[in-house]
Amino acid sequence: MLNLQVLIIVIFSPLLQGVIKKLKALAQGRVGARVLQPYWDLLRLFKKEMVVPESASWVFRAAPFIVFASALAAGMMLPVLSAGDPVKSFRMGDIIALLYTLALGRFFLTLAGLDAGTAFGGEGSSREATVAILVEPTMALAIFTAAIAAGSTSIAAISRSTDILQSPAHVLAFAAFFVALIAETGRIPVDNPDTHLELTMIHEGMVLEYSGGYLALLELAHFMKQMLLFTLAIDLFFPYGISQGGATPYAPALAVAYYALKLLVLAAAMAFTESSRAKMRFFQLPSLLGGAFVLALLSIITFVMLGR
Amino acid sequence: MPLVKRWIEVYPVTDFISIGMLLSVVAMSSIRRVESSLKAYVINSWLLAGLVAAFAVWLSIPHLYAAAFFIIAGKCVLIPFFLRKIIRELKVAREAEPYVSTPVALIICFALVVLVYSFISEGVFVAGAAKTVLKVSVSIILISLFTMITRRKAVTQVMGLLFMENGLFLAGFSLTYGMPTLIELGVLFDMLMGVMILGLFLTQIKKSFVSVDLDKLTNLKG
Repeated sequence: MLNLQVLIIVIFSPLLQGVIKKLKALAQGRVGARVLQPYWDLLRLFKKEMVVPESASWVFRAAPFIVFASALAAGMMLPVLSAGDPVKSFRMGDIIALLYTLALGRFFLTLAGLDAGTAFGGEGSSREATVAILVEPTMALAIFTAAIAAGSTSIAAISRSTDILQSPAHVLAFAAFFVALIAETGRIPVDNPDTHLELTMIHEGMVLEYSGGYLALLELAHFMKQMLLFTLAIDLFFPYGISQGGATPYAPALAVAYYALKLLVLAAAMAFTESSRAKMRFFQLPSLLGGAFVLALLSIITFVMLGR
Repeated sequence: MPLVKRWIEVYPVTDFISIGMLLSVVAMSSIRRVESSLKAYVINSWLLAGLVAAFAVWLSIPHLYAAAFFIIAGKCVLIPFFLRKIIRELKVAREAEPYVSTPVALIICFALVVLVYSFISEGVFVAGAAKTVLKVSVSIILISLFTMITRRKAVTQVMGLLFMENGLFLAGFSLTYGMPTLIELGVLFDMLMGVMILGLFLTQIKKSFVSVDLDKLTNLKG
């Protein structure tokens, strides 16, 4: 039952994308598209005809499904509204599995980018792989700080054990996680999500050859991954208000309210960072992501040394 | 007030603030833009003032309130004001090529913090609550010293010196809960004078050597 919380992510992830876009537009003094626009975009893409390059192999056809399935499977390991009671939550899966499930999706996406044999696809894939090398250790270390503090690698157990940024180590880890989040969701200092007319594109470069239903599936998987990582940040660093199973009747409503509020705050932070920064040159990225990595290292060492 | 006191006790406010200061000094060591590192200094000073104020409330020591006030007046308002003026006059927007690249600098900062944490793990402290604060302050001193060594521009070296003074203040504070107000005032005034004199000095360097890059001081003047 707990694993079905992933449906919340599947259904509402385009809405989150719409909200971020709207907030970004407001921050930049534009009116912006409606909040529900991503749903219409997906619907339109599903209706359209698919064009598959002649040079493409089975990887090209399989990748959208694998990417979507990996996002779905990763989402099943996350407590969204309820962390369940201590016994049930052990079945929910842990963070190492989650990281590698996401990495599987990423691997097939980069393969698909290379598969069609176009220059842009190859470019996007090689950049994605470079960014991944820099981001994944940061994310893993930031998560491990929370895991060491909780004494468990089960996400549900972590979210049951902490409150809101309970120690200085958590503050550092969250700072590192936030930078990793920006890189993982392809947002502005790292990648520009709004256009595929740039030579510096990363995500858009890989999906450039896709059209119709495949593209819709990939986009939905991307939205899901974004919401999933936001939820992971909430679970690890601000789980305050998450339902812990067997609670009072009004607890679910409260959990929904807290979750929505926290998502909104994160979305606003994301929109603000994106509007206030310029995109970085690709070869400057190592100093940004390396900085985040050092922050994550500092968070672990702080935790070990301070003992909390 | 008792409520605030209780809150400071339950929630490790001092730990959070000192980690914030560490974060700002690490940021300073990786930032190239002079304006941005000045901003990091202002944040660092506000956090220092906040820490002193928190201790003042927590332990009800009246002269710490005065110390917090002087920090705000000197380090958060006056020194940044003068520095901003100097930066604008000298037109140094960016640090030219430091001796080590940003990722390497960050790794070295991390190594310094590990070193400090592992060497000051145990010890007898006069003030028991300040264990974290002492570690952080020594890290701040070392990181800013490292930054001073690796930068070329005189302005950023001054910035490193100021950060180091913040670290020294923190170290002294964590061991003694504040020196007498008179001494603190004296140190603060010294720093202020130091910044002003350095401003004049830098303008002179700029006038006679065209650049504030300290490497070029060894060039012969023609």
